[in-house]
Amino acid sequence: MKKSKIITSIAGIILLAVITFAFMPAPKKITIKGSDTMVILAQKWAEVYMKSHPEVTLQVTGGGSGTGISALINGATDICNASRSMKQSEIDKLKERYGSLGIEIRCAKDGITVYLNEANPVKELSIKQLSGIFTGKIKNWKEVGGVDQDIKLYGRENSSGTYVFFQENVVKGDYATSCQTLPGTAAVVNAVKNDKYGIGYGGAAYSKGVKQCLVKKDDKSTAYLPTAETIKNGTYPISRYLYMYVRNRPTGEMKNYIDWILGPEGQKLVVDQGYFPVK
Amino acid sequence: MRRAFTIYPNEHENNSIQVPSNRFTKNYLPMKKKKLYFLLLSIGLTIPMAFIQPVSAQTGSDTLAPQVTTLKDRISGVEDRIATAEADLSKLTKIKISGYVQAQWQHFEAANVFPSNYFTIRRARFKLQYEPAKGVAFVLQPDFQPSNFVIKEAYTRINEPWLKTFSLWVGKFNRPNYEVETSSSDLEALERSRVITTLYPGEYAIGAKLEVTPPSIPLKFQVAIFNGNDGQTYPDATGANANATDNKDFDNYKDIMARLTYAFKFGRWGGLTIGAHGYYGAVRATNDTLLKSDYTKNKVVKLGSALSRNWVGVEAQLYVDFLGGMVVKGEYIMGVNAFPGYTGSAVSSTTFSSSVNATKDTVTQTYTTLKTTSVAPNIQRNFSGFYVYLVKNIGKRNQFTFRYDQFDPNTKLAGGDLGIKGYKTSSTTTTTTKNTFGTAGNVLVNKEVNTTVINNALTSGTADLAYSQITLAWSYYFDDNIKISLAYDIPMNEKVGTANKVLSSSYAAPGGISSKYDYSNLIKQNVLTLRIQAKF
Repeated sequence: MKKSKIITSIAGIILLAVITFAFMPAPKKITIKGSDTMVILAQKWAEVYMKSHPEVTLQVTGGGSGTGISALINGATDICNASRSMKQSEIDKLKERYGSLGIEIRCAKDGITVYLNEANPVKELSIKQLSGIFTGKIKNWKEVGGVDQDIKLYGRENSSGTYVFFQENVVKGDYATSCQTLPGTAAVVNAVKNDKYGIGYGGAAYSKGVKQCLVKKDDKSTAYLPTAETIKNGTYPISRYLYMYVRNRPTGEMKNYIDWILGPEGQKLVVDQGYFPVK
Repeated sequence: MRRAFTIYPNEHENNSIQVPSNRFTKNYLPMKKKKLYFLLLSIGLTIPMAFIQPVSAQTGSDTLAPQVTTLKDRISGVEDRIATAEADLSKLTKIKISGYVQAQWQHFEAANVFPSNYFTIRRARFKLQYEPAKGVAFVLQPDFQPSNFVIKEAYTRINEPWLKTFSLWVGKFNRPNYEVETSSSDLEALERSRVITTLYPGEYAIGAKLEVTPPSIPLKFQVAIFNGNDGQTYPDATGANANATDNKDFDNYKDIMARLTYAFKFGRWGGLTIGAHGYYGAVRATNDTLLKSDYTKNKVVKLGSALSRNWVGVEAQLYVDFLGGMVVKGEYIMGVNAFPGYTGSAVSSTTFSSSVNATKDTVTQTYTTLKTTSVAPNIQRNFSGFYVYLVKNIGKRNQFTFRYDQFDPNTKLAGGDLGIKGYKTSSTTTTTTKNTFGTAGNVLVNKEVNTTVINNALTSGTADLAYSQITLAWSYYFDDNIKISLAYDIPMNEKVGTANKVLSSSYAAPGGISSKYDYSNLIKQNVLTLRIQAKF
C-alpha cells in the first residue's frame, strides 16, 4: 500500500512538472551560433527577418560548426548553424545531455570552392590532385601543370565544418603540416589573394578577388565550376548541404523563423549571398 | 610675414638700435648693416655644407646590404624557432585531459549507519588521452579517493583506418553494457542500478575487446574477453576477500561478453535503440560440492574445475521529442551466477586423559586430538534484475529523473525459505594408534585418537534477499561544467521469514548497542544525496 501511494504521488508530480514547463511560452530571443561559412548568410537572414518581425530578437555569431554544435549540446545556443552533419559522438552527447537526437534542417546548398590566385596559370585540378596537394604529397605547382614554385597551403581550423567536410571528401587523409590554419573563409580568401602560389578552400559565396578552380572527379572527367546548375545536377564534385540543428522540434517563434528561412524569402537570400537553394 | 633678422634691443640702453614695434615696416636697417648680415648668413650656410658628405648610390648599398643580410639571418632564425615550437605544440595538441570531481552530502535513514550524515568526495577522476598517430589512442584514468588511489582505466585503442569500422581495445576498460558505459559523470540517478553494480562491480575489467561500428549503419557490435574476476568478492573462511589481487586473474578461466545494438530513427520524433548482450564465464571451484540455487546438492565437482556463470540481457532506450527531450530506457538481465565456496583452516584441540588398571598393572595414556574444519560449498544462483528510467529535460538547464530497479539474486527461493533453506553435511573420521610398552605387570599404553570433522555448510540468508528501489533525482546544469543534483533513494527489501524463523542480521547501533534488522519488515534505508559536480 505504502509503495503504491509513493508511486502515485511521484506520477502526479511528474505530470504537473511536465505540463507546467511544456506550455511555457517559447522565447522571443533566439541565439544562433556556428558555421563561419554560414555566418554572413545567417546575419542577413536575421537582419531581414527582424525588420518584418520587430518583436523577435535574433543573435547570430560564428565560431565554426564544431563550436556551434558544442554550444547546442551545452545549451548555450538555440540554433546551431553547421556546414557539416553532426558526428555520431556529438549526437551521443546530445542524447546523454538532453535525451534528444537533435533535429537536422537542411537550409541551403554550397559548393566548396578551391581558391587560386588570379595570376596562377593553373585552371583545373582533379580530386586526386587536390588530395595530393593538401596532404603535402604534391609540393610544387609544376607537378600539376603550373610554374616551378612551391605550393602554399591555406586552410581552416579543425572546429570548422568546412575543414572537416573538405578533409572527408577531398583530402581523405591528414592535412599537410605546412597548411596554415586561418580563422574563417574570408581570411583564407585574403591569404590566397595576396599569394601568387597559394591555394585554399571555402564556400562559393566568398570567392571575390580570387580565381575559382575548376574541379573534376578524375583525370578523364570534365572539370566544372560551382554553379547553381552543376551543384543541382551533381556534376560539380564538391557540394554539400548547409544545416541548422536544434535540440527539439521547433515551436513558437523559432518555428516561424525556420519556416521563413525555408520559404521563398529566405531561399532568395540564400541565392543573393552566393549559395544555392535547398530545393 | 616675419623678417629674417629682427633685433629687439634692451629698451634701457640709449645706444641700442630702436626697432619699430611694427615688424612690417620697410627699410628700418641701414644698407651697410644689411650687407654685413647677408655676408654672415652666406658664410653661415656655406661652412656647414662643406662638412656634409654627398650621398652616392654606391655608399648607400654598401651600408644597407649587411643590414639586410643580418635581418634575413634573424628572420631565418625566428622561422626555425617557430617551426620547432609548432612541432612541439602539435605533440601537445595530441594530449587531451578531462575529468570531474563529485562532492556530496548524504543523509542516511538506516539505523546501522553512523554518522547518519556526512560530506564526502564520491569521485575525483581525470582522464588522459594521448593520440600519437591517427587511429591510435592511449588512455589512462586514475581515480583519486580520500584514502586510496586506483587506476580505473588504462588501455590502448587502435582504430583500423581502411573501413573505419573495427577498433581493438587492450587493457582495462568498461565492460560492454549500456549503464556501465554511461560515464559516472552523466548518470541521471547519480548511481547505477543494483543489478549492474552486482554483476559488473567497479565497471572496468582487464581484457581485450573488439568493436565493430560500420560508419553508414547504426549498428554496434562488441565482443570482449576478460579475466572475469575484476571487482568480485569471494570471501574465505575468515571473511577476507580471496580475490584480493586486482591486476591478476583468480583462475585460468576467461569470461567472454558480447553486445549488439541497433538504432532506429523516427524522423523528428526521436529514435529507439535496442540491444542485447550475453555473458559467458566461469570461476574455479574451491570446494568439491556444488549447490543448486535452492541450496540442494547439485553434484560433486573437482577442486579447481569451472563453475559456469552465464546470463543474457535485453535493453532499449527510447528518445521521444515530446514536450522537449524525454528518454524512457531500461534493461532486463537474467541468468546464473556462480560463487566459489571456501576451505577454512582446521581448528585443533588436544586433550589428555589417563587411566590405571590396577589388576593388570597397566597405565593407559590417551591423547585425543579433534580437528574441525568448516568449509562452504560452491553455489550457482539463478538471478534476474531490471531497471527502468524516465528522464525528462525541462527547459535548457533542468532534468528530472525517475528510476525503478529490482534485483533478485536468487529466483529459486521464496521469501519464506530464506534463513531456512540450506545445506549441511558433516563428516567425521577417527583414527586410533596404540603403542604398548613394558611387560606384563608393568605396562604403559599410549593411545593417540585423531578425529577429523569437516562441516560443509551454507545457509540461505541476506545474500539471497531481493531488493527493489525507487530513485528520484533533480539536476540543474549551471553550464557545461557545473551540475548540482539532489537525489532520494528508497530501497525496499523483500519481506521474508515465517512464523518459525525470522531472517535477521545484526548490527551495532550508535552507542555500541547491538541490534538486529528483522527482514519480515520493510527496513528503512532511504538515502538523500546532494551532489555538486565540476567537470572539465
